Amino acid sequence: MDWTQTLFWFFFAMTIGSAVFVVTVRNLVHAAFWLMITLFCVAALYVFLKADFLAATQVVVYVGGILVLVLFGVMMTSGKLDLNLKLERGQMISSGIISIALLAILFLIVRRTNWQTAETQFDSEGTTSSIGEAIMGEFLLPFEVVSIVLLIALIGAVLITRKEVKKEDAA
Amino acid sequence: MNSVDSLQYFIPELIVVGTALVTIIYDLLPDSKDNNSIAYIALGGIALTLIAIFATGAPTESLFDGMIRIDGFSIYFKVIALVATAVTIVFSIQSRELDPNTKGEYYSILIAVNLGMFMMASSTNLLMAYLSLETVSISSYILAGFLTHNQRSSEASFKYIIYGAVASGTMLFGLSLMFGLTGTASISEIGAKLAGLIEDPDSRLAVMVAVVFVLTGLGYKIAAVPFHMWSPDVYEGAPIPVTAFLSVASKAAGFALFIRIFYLGFGQIANLSTTNWTLLLSIISALTMTFGNLAALPQENVKRLLAYSSIAHSGYLLMGAVLLNDTGIKAILFYLTIYLFMNLGAFFVVILVANQVGSEMISGYRNLVSRAPLLAISMAIFLFSLVGLPPLAGFAGKWILFTAALQKHLYWLVVVAALNSAVSLYYYVRIVKAMFFETAEDQTPLTFSFGNRLLLLAFVIPTVLLFILWEPSYEVISAVIKDFTPADVGKLAATVSQQP
Repeated sequence: MDWTQTLFWFFFAMTIGSAVFVVTVRNLVHAAFWLMITLFCVAALYVFLKADFLAATQVVVYVGGILVLVLFGVMMTSGKLDLNLKLERGQMISSGIISIALLAILFLIVRRTNWQTAETQFDSEGTTSSIGEAIMGEFLLPFEVVSIVLLIALIGAVLITRKEVKKEDAA
Repeated sequence: MNSVDSLQYFIPELIVVGTALVTIIYDLLPDSKDNNSIAYIALGGIALTLIAIFATGAPTESLFDGMIRIDGFSIYFKVIALVATAVTIVFSIQSRELDPNTKGEYYSILIAVNLGMFMMASSTNLLMAYLSLETVSISSYILAGFLTHNQRSSEASFKYIIYGAVASGTMLFGLSLMFGLTGTASISEIGAKLAGLIEDPDSRLAVMVAVVFVLTGLGYKIAAVPFHMWSPDVYEGAPIPVTAFLSVASKAAGFALFIRIFYLGFGQIANLSTTNWTLLLSIISALTMTFGNLAALPQENVKRLLAYSSIAHSGYLLMGAVLLNDTGIKAILFYLTIYLFMNLGAFFVVILVANQVGSEMISGYRNLVSRAPLLAISMAIFLFSLVGLPPLAGFAGKWILFTAALQKHLYWLVVVAALNSAVSLYYYVRIVKAMFFETAEDQTPLTFSFGNRLLLLAFVIPTVLLFILWEPSYEVISAVIKDFTPADVGKLAATVSQQP
């Protein structure tokens, strides 16, 4: 087993292990920090897939942006939110059975199916420029539609979070 | 066709986006909130879009490097979406639930949903299909929770988001499996490749799981059992105009995408596969209509009753989707058109009654016939049409759906559907009984503006007329979906089915 292989399995174990902690720890802040490790390790797995741009984006957007937002959300709502995150025994059993069955099926699929595979050649230039060309060419319309979706989400977020303005205050 | 050349056929969508932006900017002007001018701008935008759609015509082109396709089918759904949105805007002007301070955002999002629905109707690529679904979903979450001071509305929005996130995550997983199996995101290419893949015993399980996962996302959008859990709470908590919108427009768009993906993408496997997809979809259809009708039976709140009944109607519509053939699609389009008028009409009456009587309960409808005869008679027409009684359009719609199912020998499904219609008669008639035969303490006549009467008639007339003009309208639909199947897919299906 060479170094690349060892590293890959290390990150693989870290991803799964930290993800288990995300859903099992009681404290939301702890869960958020475990999530950070998961997201980092996923970025590392992207590197093994030679998706350099995706890995960098993962770190910048998820670890740097979304996770910080999650932490802010947890901090600002802590104390106000009295969440009972405990599951009932019946729910635990039924969801456990479904999850394990789904895992087994997915495992079987991954092993058996003849997946379409792409030739991966290591390119010293990386994937960034070809992704850029694809976004501005073949995938222009989805790219533009995403911007509209984000705009809608932005308007919605402002709308939901803003305080009720009384008529007198507005005037 | 590349992106630059595609733009000339993309004008309706551009106008939609433009209108959404204009409404949100206009909202910033002083005094813009004092009257309904924002709503009229939104209506103007819709009118312009409609004009642009008909001016562009139906050239049947694949646009933006195969991302979307403009054809009769997509135009049909675009028109349905626009009409439903226009009606929703008129409802919203009437509604007293909405906060005047957030008008700009409300209309802007309502217009922007149309972009999502346009894309849902015309996507021919999985990436685009998923994005369009998400556009509609995210906007709907916001619209459902628009009454931020109202706990029910917030709860509706919250439930909608949780269920929506799970459903769309599952669907995305299914789409990724599909991409991994076929190496393409183009729906018709997937259809062609799946036909070959299904022969391979190693891939069969993966195809099955992928289709089921995709079905989860689509089933959620059209509120099919067992993915319906969100809909009663959302329909009840959301403002009435939004409920009307979600139960008609967003459902129609869901069916458009369902047909596109299942008919063009997965249609081939239905004919070949050892898994009985027809049976699976039939069971979902039967469960959906049965659940919707049984749950509607004990409802006292008319809005909630209509919400459950709209689940039942998804079940009837799914009968057409089960068939995966042209007759089924035509039946769906025809029924959706009728459903648009009768369901929106019923919701309009609910809004008018809620404004005047201040109640959404059946008890509020007592003796409506002497208080507001036109309203009571119109409501009775809508309800009987929803049951599917002749001589109303609902009967024609159901008749076409049932005969289409009979052609495919789905006798048990038709029997279940007929029994369900009988059950639905009971709860619809409860409202009619309250309106015509029960006495109320309050006898003051209700007054409605001329515009409202006119609008009410605009729903009643098609509900009656589509029964009389059943054949010509069916012909129109046949002409509309003439170019639905791309030539290459049709050819492929023919060659595959000839093989032993």
